[in-house]
Amino acid sequence: MAKILAVDDSASMRGMVAFTLRGAGHDVSEAENGQLALDQARGSRYDLVLADVNMPVMDGLSMVRELRTMPEYKGVPILMLTTESHTDKKMEGKAAGATGWLVKPFDPEQLLATVKRVLG
Amino acid sequence: MSKAGLAQFQQVFIEESLEGLDTMESSLLALDDGGDGELVHTIFRAAHSIKGGAATFGFPEMSSFTHEAESLLDEVRSGKRAIDGSIIELLLRTVDCLRGMFARAQAGEPLNDAVAEGLRNELAAAMGRGIPAGGVQARRAEDQADAWTVRFRPHPGMLASGNDPLRLIRELAGLGELRATPEFDRLPATLAGLEPSECHLGWTITLRGPVKRADIAAVFDWVEDECDLAIEAQHVVAKPAEAPIATAPVAAAANVADAGAARAQREAGAESSSVRVSIDKIDGLINLVGELVITQSMLDTFRGEYDATRVAMLEQGLAQLARHTRELQETVMGIRMLPIASVFNRFPRMVRDISQKLGKQVKLELVGEQTELDKTVLEKIGDPMVHLVRNAIDHGLETPDKRRAAGKSDLGTLKLEASHRGGNIVVEVSDDGAGLNRDAIVAKAVQRGLIASGEGLSDEAVADLIFQPGFSTAAVTTDLSGRGVGMDVVRRNVADLGGTVTIRSTQGKGSAFTITLPLTLAIIDGLTAAVGGERYIVPLVSIVESVQLKPEAVRSVAGGELFRFRGEYLPVIRLHDAFGCDNAIRAIDQGLMVVVEGDGSRVGLFVDGLIGQQQAVVKSLEANYRRVQGVSGATILADGSVALIVDIAGLVRLQGRRKAA
Amino acid sequence: MPATADKHSEDATGRGESRSMGKATAQGKGESEARVIALPPDFRLAELAAVKAELLEALEAPAVNIDGAAVERVDTAALQLLVAFRRESTARGQSPAWHGVSTVMRDAASLLGLAQVLELPAPMPA
Repeated sequence: MAKILAVDDSASMRGMVAFTLRGAGHDVSEAENGQLALDQARGSRYDLVLADVNMPVMDGLSMVRELRTMPEYKGVPILMLTTESHTDKKMEGKAAGATGWLVKPFDPEQLLATVKRVLG
Repeated sequence: MSKAGLAQFQQVFIEESLEGLDTMESSLLALDDGGDGELVHTIFRAAHSIKGGAATFGFPEMSSFTHEAESLLDEVRSGKRAIDGSIIELLLRTVDCLRGMFARAQAGEPLNDAVAEGLRNELAAAMGRGIPAGGVQARRAEDQADAWTVRFRPHPGMLASGNDPLRLIRELAGLGELRATPEFDRLPATLAGLEPSECHLGWTITLRGPVKRADIAAVFDWVEDECDLAIEAQHVVAKPAEAPIATAPVAAAANVADAGAARAQREAGAESSSVRVSIDKIDGLINLVGELVITQSMLDTFRGEYDATRVAMLEQGLAQLARHTRELQETVMGIRMLPIASVFNRFPRMVRDISQKLGKQVKLELVGEQTELDKTVLEKIGDPMVHLVRNAIDHGLETPDKRRAAGKSDLGTLKLEASHRGGNIVVEVSDDGAGLNRDAIVAKAVQRGLIASGEGLSDEAVADLIFQPGFSTAAVTTDLSGRGVGMDVVRRNVADLGGTVTIRSTQGKGSAFTITLPLTLAIIDGLTAAVGGERYIVPLVSIVESVQLKPEAVRSVAGGELFRFRGEYLPVIRLHDAFGCDNAIRAIDQGLMVVVEGDGSRVGLFVDGLIGQQQAVVKSLEANYRRVQGVSGATILADGSVALIVDIAGLVRLQGRRKAA
Repeated sequence: MPATADKHSEDATGRGESRSMGKATAQGKGESEARVIALPPDFRLAELAAVKAELLEALEAPAVNIDGAAVERVDTAALQLLVAFRRESTARGQSPAWHGVSTVMRDAASLLGLAQVLELPAPMPA
């Protein structure tokens, strides 16, 4: 079981991610934008952060940059949930400090496989 | 995980996508009015979310469709393309088309139709290319070997990005028999010189087993820019190129799931049955419940010991209980309260389309969009408002040349305003157009046989004529207002919600339609009336006045009784007759005549007397018993007895039918 | 943040008494007792600044023992730090010994081919 933070402004996407991961026994928290995610991350140590790219208030890339400045989030896996299958978008995420990405659409099995992969 | 588990999020997805489409539409309209670039981002975000969710939740057609719009928006966003009227137009139609797709999704129908196909082509054409190839992807031939050597040297920064070589190598170990030999040549000579977050190790890895090159490369897909990587086969086995692989089975499975969810949705009923509640409201509730529990345990200490010295404390506890109960009630009601903005938001587009079609210039003003009202009321207020708005543009506002001739500016103003007034919501649709034409209305009403002549009728009474069934003021029935629904339907819809519609109009200056609605349908303010041994609740909103009459003020005529009230003869409905109550007061001068308004007309309700005013929590009779004519529900009084709530509009209709019979 | 943890797991070598969490405690320098560095349960990147400071201090001690029995999570960065420490420590003639090694840590080191250079003791029979 891992502590996972799911960040997405879409309640359905967030809900699906959280539901799927909880079903696999993980402890999942949710946040609906980058700013709220940072607030939550400060108070608690997550093993994995899953974040949408496009969000109001604070987007996913800015959030990753911020997270990476926090000592306790050095090296913590952060996956971008992105619809961009273009290389440049993925690289933008990587440059911001993301660990990797999961391209939408994904189904619960793909999500679980990726999370399992990243958590080892 | 089961697909069924996902169905719950499918509905959430549809709801939020519809909201997203509203946002897209209003932003596109604002952009059309010269709004700033931030709007493009907002629009892009909305399209992006829909695209991302559509495929995940089993609507691949919608996803590929949105993809086209998103690509177009991306070019605008990145400055590669200037936005112009034609693009806005195209995107607005895309919004419409997506709404249609969602409607079909909810009805379980195929998502694509000719319109969607055509629009997709248009979007692709706007992007300057043909229709993109479908989901078929060619894959290059894959190398396969029985043993591999992988040279892997992470760049120093790789660890900080969360990519742990340990994880990657463990993943590789899952493919075959692995042996990793570390390289220490880059490791700093001293411990002090090592920055722990940087990776200075490297590995040469041998992997044995029938493994494909692609599978090895896939392990490193996130880090290809963060390491030096060489994958070499030790024994290459050439394989013929494989045929392109289509992803059809996945899509088919998604369609099956999606049809099931759509069916469930249909069964759930037409109006969406969930409310999104802000965390603040829920926290407020939890707080209140906490307070209640404290008060309850405090009151619990009195159990069995009613010591006179503690009366003050008991009273204090009861006062607290009352306050918390009231707050709890308000907060719970608040959960069902949503801002009227969701209804208002559909008008900018509609006003734009209609005014363009009619060659009129209209400025739409929205006031009080954050005014909250009950979700049920909200869902039902849309249609009457649409009708009033159509009407205002079609009949109220004039064409630019007519306005100029009347000394007004070309630009007509249409204003939608919502506000709280007392326990009611007031929604006003007003325009600065021509106003109601008294002569035209009278002429039409005479022609329709609604009245004999307009003589002696107040302006108010004349204006009221347009709410009569079968009345239409338009000289020509246009396709905008003339859809077989008249203002009578508006009034009836509003009456069904326990509200009223009134008009104020000044010829040449404009008209204002005011809809007054109860804040919620769950609680009404009413007067308790006694009839025989029974008590009835008369909704306060319907009450005009109550008067005590002399016996001679009431005349018996064929089919009933009438009394004169402010120059008008109103029919009398004796509640004891209507509901069959025994032992009620029958003599006019001993009872009370309550003048009420419902369904556009006034009647006098004759009751024994009025007991007092109170808030009544409406309990549905239909749900608990069956529908009863003339009764809209029941409530439980303070003493535990049941009182029926009088449905004024229903009673008036009932009376009308009796008279006709 | 010091790498402290209260969670005790059984020492693989059965010598839990000498384990100290957090600050390395010098246990009688003059009495030929070695200084013990207890590795934290979460022995990963975010914790390494603290562990590195301890290890640097330990380099100055006459002898050092490392206790990895409590390690529940470990990453490449952590093992790399140990490799760098071990190299320098050996060069200074400390020849640090292991007080305990958790299974998690042993498996990770083996995968990365580091078990040998870290001189991990052979696994104890269960």
